[in-house]
Amino acid sequence: MNAMVETDIRVRGAVETRSERPKLSVKDFKGRVDPDWCPGCGDFGVLAALKQAIADLGLHPHEVMTISGIGCSSNLPGYINAYGMHTLHGRALAVATGAQLANHELKIIATGGDGDGFGIGGNHFLHTMRRNVDLTYIVMDNQIYGLTTGQVSPTSIKGMQTKSTPFGSVENPINPIPLAIAAGATYVARGFTGQQKHLVELIKGGIQHKGFALIDVFSPCVTYNHENSHEFFKQRTQKLEDIGHDPTSFQAAMEKAYMWGDVIPIGLFWKRSDLPALDELEPVLAEGGSLAHRPLGVSPQAAKALISELM
Amino acid sequence: MSVAVAKAKSDQSDVYEREELLNGCQAVAHGVRLADVDVIAAYPIRPYTEVMDALSKLIADGQFDAEYIIADSEHSQFEIVKHASSVNARAFGGSSGTGWMYGMEALVVTATDRLPPLFVVGNRALDDPGAFGVEHNDAMAVRDMGWLLCWVTTPQEALEHVLIGYRIAEDKRVRMPMGLAMDGAFLTHSQHMVKVPSPEAAKKFLPQYDLAERRLHPDNPISVAPQINEDWVMELRRQNWEAAKRARGVIKEAYKEFNDVFGERYSAPYYFEEFMTDDAEVVLIGIGTVAAPARTAVRRLREKGQKVGYVNLRWFRPFPTVELRECLSRFKAVGVVDRDFAHGSPDNGGILMHEIRSCLYPAKQRPAIVNFMGGLGGRDLSIADAQKMYDITQQAAKKDSMDGFVTWIGLRE
Ligand SMILES: Cc1ncc(C[n+]2csc(CCOP(=O)(O)OP(=O)(O)O)c2C)c(N)n1
Ligand code: SF4
Repeated sequence: MNAMVETDIRVRGAVETRSERPKLSVKDFKGRVDPDWCPGCGDFGVLAALKQAIADLGLHPHEVMTISGIGCSSNLPGYINAYGMHTLHGRALAVATGAQLANHELKIIATGGDGDGFGIGGNHFLHTMRRNVDLTYIVMDNQIYGLTTGQVSPTSIKGMQTKSTPFGSVENPINPIPLAIAAGATYVARGFTGQQKHLVELIKGGIQHKGFALIDVFSPCVTYNHENSHEFFKQRTQKLEDIGHDPTSFQAAMEKAYMWGDVIPIGLFWKRSDLPALDELEPVLAEGGSLAHRPLGVSPQAAKALISELM
Repeated sequence: MSVAVAKAKSDQSDVYEREELLNGCQAVAHGVRLADVDVIAAYPIRPYTEVMDALSKLIADGQFDAEYIIADSEHSQFEIVKHASSVNARAFGGSSGTGWMYGMEALVVTATDRLPPLFVVGNRALDDPGAFGVEHNDAMAVRDMGWLLCWVTTPQEALEHVLIGYRIAEDKRVRMPMGLAMDGAFLTHSQHMVKVPSPEAAKKFLPQYDLAERRLHPDNPISVAPQINEDWVMELRRQNWEAAKRARGVIKEAYKEFNDVFGERYSAPYYFEEFMTDDAEVVLIGIGTVAAPARTAVRRLREKGQKVGYVNLRWFRPFPTVELRECLSRFKAVGVVDRDFAHGSPDNGGILMHEIRSCLYPAKQRPAIVNFMGGLGGRDLSIADAQKMYDITQQAAKKDSMDGFVTWIGLRE
C-alpha cells in the first residue's frame, strides 16, 4: 500500500514537471489487488511482460489505459497500476476505440481472451483493425474458455475435447494472425509466455507502433487446456528472427502465419507504417490536443458567433 | 410447499424411473432429455453453464441424442434455437444475466414470430458490477414481449416444467416461447433428490411438436417474418395478445394432463401455490427460492399464534389476474417481495409489486400492500429477514399511510 501511495505522488509530480520525470520500475505498476488466476496460469506472464514493457518505455501510469472484456484474462486491468476499464464480454475494442479517440495521447492497451476477442467480440476485432485504431491489443490466447470452466473456444484446435465438445471439436479454429493481416492491422505479432524477454519486446514494439497492433500470446490455461500446454509450445515455438523473416513482406508474413506443426513461429509477422491511424484521419483531432483536455461543449463566444451568423 | 411430491397412484407406479440427487441445472438437462429435444444451442455463462455442461455429458454418455451446437455468443445461440424451432425441431437454449440481455434482439423476434422453443434462465444479477448471484431482472426483461414466463422452486419442479413448458408453448392455441426461470445458485446449484420420469411417461404427457402450416420445409414453401411495414403490425400485435390470453386456459389443461400421468403433483389454480393461507390475515408473496425462508418463518410465527401465510407465484406471464385477485383480496395485508428492481417506478417499488397492485385495483376488497426489496445480487434472504417482513406487513394491516411503503431488506447502511 505504501508503495502505491508513493507511486501516486511521484506520478502527480511527473505531471507537473515533465522535464524531470523519474523513470518508474515494474514495481510501480503493481495493482492494488493480486491476480486471482490459478497458480501457473500463463496470464501471469502476460501481466509481467506488460508491466515490464510499460516501464521500459518510460511511461507513467496516467499515460496508459488498459481496457478488457470478460474472462480470466480480462481481469488484467484490475492488476495493474494504470487507468483501467473492465467492460462487457466481447466489447473491449469498441470501448478502446472510444477511449483512443477521446484521448489520443493515451497509450491504449486492450487485453482479453480468445473467446472474448475472436468469438463474441469478433465483429469489433475486424472493424478495429480495418480502421487501424492506434492501440495495442494483447490477446491471452489459451484456446479455451477459462472463466466459464473449460468450453471450446474459437481457437481450440480441431478435434479438441472440451466440456462442450466431448467428441472433439469438429470446427476449424480461427487463426488470428493471417486474419489480422488481411483485415488491415498494421502490426501483427505472436508471443509466448514461456519467452518473457521476447514477449516484452513484442509488446514494446506494439505500443510504439502508430496504428492497430495485435499481439496474440500463447498463454496456457493450466486448468482446462491440457493439450496446448506450456510444454507443447516450448517444444514447438521458434522465433521468426531465428527462422529468418521479413515482416514487411506480405507474402512472407502470410506464409509464416499459416505454419502450425512441429514448428510454430512466434515474433513479428507483419508491420507496415504507411497507413494513417484512425485518429490521424479525424480533422477534429488535427490540432488542439486530445478531446479529453479540451473544454466540453460550445463556448458562449462560439454560440454567439454561430447565432449571429445564422440570424 | 402445499404440493408435496405426490405418491404415484397404483397404476402410475412406473412413471418414475429412478430417484437421483440432482441440482437445478442437472434436473433441467434431464427434462430436456425426456422432452426428446432435437436441437440444443449453447453458449456458457454462469449459472446457466451447468445446464449446457450437463447436456453435453448426457450426450457424451450415450443417454441422449440431439444436435448440440456451440454458438459464438448468446445472440447467435438464440437465433439458432429460433430457426430450429421454425423448421419443426423442438429446440432448447438458455442463459443468465447479461448473456440473456445480449441476445435480447433474438428473444424478441422469437416471440413476435410466434415460435415455441424453451429457454432456461438461471437468474443472475445484471452487469455491472460483475456478480453471479440471483436477481430477477434478466428474465423479467421479456415480460412484455409475448413470452411465457414461469419460475420454479425445486429441481423436481425444474425438470417437470421443461415438459410442462413445451406442452404449453407448442400448443397451437399458444405458440409462444417459454422462459423457465430459476434462481441462480440457490436453485441452479443446490441438490435435491429428484424423481426422474421414465421416457414412456414423458412421451405420454408431451405430444410431438407440430408447427403444422407454419413449418418451414421444402414441401411447405412459406416465408418467415416478411417485411410488412405498417399495414399489419397492429393485427399481429393483437394475435400475440390473443395467444397470451388463451395461454391461461392451456396452462390449466397442461397441469391437469400432467397430474393424469404423474399423480396429483400440482393443485389448482397451478399459477401459484398457497402455504398455510386458509385462515391467514397477512401474507407475503414472492417468486422463486425466497419461498423456503418464508415458509419456515410462517411455521414459526404460526407456533406463536400469528395468522400468516405465504403465496409462491409460479407463473408471471401470462399473469394469473383473476385467480390472484381472488386469492389476495382475502387478506388484510400483502407484503410483496421483489428480488428485482424498477428504479424510478411508481412509489419506487419493484416489478412484482406493480403487477400485483395493478391486478388488485379492481378488487372489491383491497388488502393493504407493502413492498420489500431484498436478496439482490444473490444476498441471502434469511428466516429472520422473512420474519421481519411479516412484522412490517402486519403493521401495515393496521395503518393507513404510505409511510415506509418500500423497505430494503438486508441492506448495509
Ligand atoms: C454476454 C456474455 N455472455 C457470456 C458471458 C460468460 N463468459 C464470461 S468469460 C467467457 C469466456 C471466457 O473465455 P476467454 O474470453 O477466452 O477468456 P479466458 O477466461 O479463457 O481468459 C464467457 C462466455 C458473459 N460474461 N457475458
Ligand atoms: S482457468 Fe485457466 S485461464 Fe483461468 S486463471 Fe485458471 S489457468 Fe488461467
